[in-house]
Amino acid sequence: MSEILVDKKNYPPGDFAIWIIVYVELLTFGLLFVGYAYSRRVNLQMFNDSQLLLNQTIGFINALILITSSYLIVRGVETIKTMQVRHSYEASIRASKWLLSAMMLGGIFLILKLSEFSNLFAQGITLSTNTFFMFYLLLTMFHFMHVTLGVIILYNLYHKTKNQGYIPTDCRGLETGAIYWHLVDLLWIVLFPLIYIMR
Amino acid sequence: MKLHVEDVFAVLVVLSFSAFLVGYLELFSGFFAIFLVISTFLKGQLISDYFMDLREVDYKYRLIPTLWLVVVLSLIGVAYMLPISA
Repeated sequence: MSEILVDKKNYPPGDFAIWIIVYVELLTFGLLFVGYAYSRRVNLQMFNDSQLLLNQTIGFINALILITSSYLIVRGVETIKTMQVRHSYEASIRASKWLLSAMMLGGIFLILKLSEFSNLFAQGITLSTNTFFMFYLLLTMFHFMHVTLGVIILYNLYHKTKNQGYIPTDCRGLETGAIYWHLVDLLWIVLFPLIYIMR
Repeated sequence: MKLHVEDVFAVLVVLSFSAFLVGYLELFSGFFAIFLVISTFLKGQLISDYFMDLREVDYKYRLIPTLWLVVVLSLIGVAYMLPISA
């Protein structure tokens, strides 16, 4: 019995499959990040001029949104993992509120990103405008799709948590969804300074 | 050193704000490029250790995101620091 417990502790939280997804996503985005950095060296001036058209403030607000939502999810998972059986209803409701707040922040991220995209499209900027915008749109739209999926996952986690679907000994689904959201956060943590700030 | 998740959240906000300030104040030099790379590494490591909760699991699982951060950010740092020939 003790051997099983030790083994379990050594494994990362959530389903093992989510970690395969995490590593594949990190590899894919990593290649794009490095590709961006080296393509910039070929036409430095064009990259610097194009970067000026981006809104750094929105990029920063989006970074804050994702960090905050990740924190809220950690609190939600923590609430479920530490709840006592006799207070399971109250704890589930409290955890579902953390998750709902995180989901709403994810929604705000999507709205801000859509406004940024529509502003650029209104200026006639597309994937084929230049190499900078090819990378910018590819990376941010790919990330946008991940956030959209993340919000859908959070909605499902919220419902199941609210209906007392998780208990401390059986919350692997919740942990798996949380890991996915932290991945989305981790990717933006690199994307924001690379695309919006570094020159 | 074990941090509380609130401390981690505060550090992430401060580092993100400092990255924003570098861009806002247009502090573009080799020093600030290195600062951005290192602060991004710290943020990524904090998310991996405390939000993804990898700090107490088997080392091989913890090492993968760390290696990813080191390799990707080092290559980015080199791309920004190497002189560009005319």
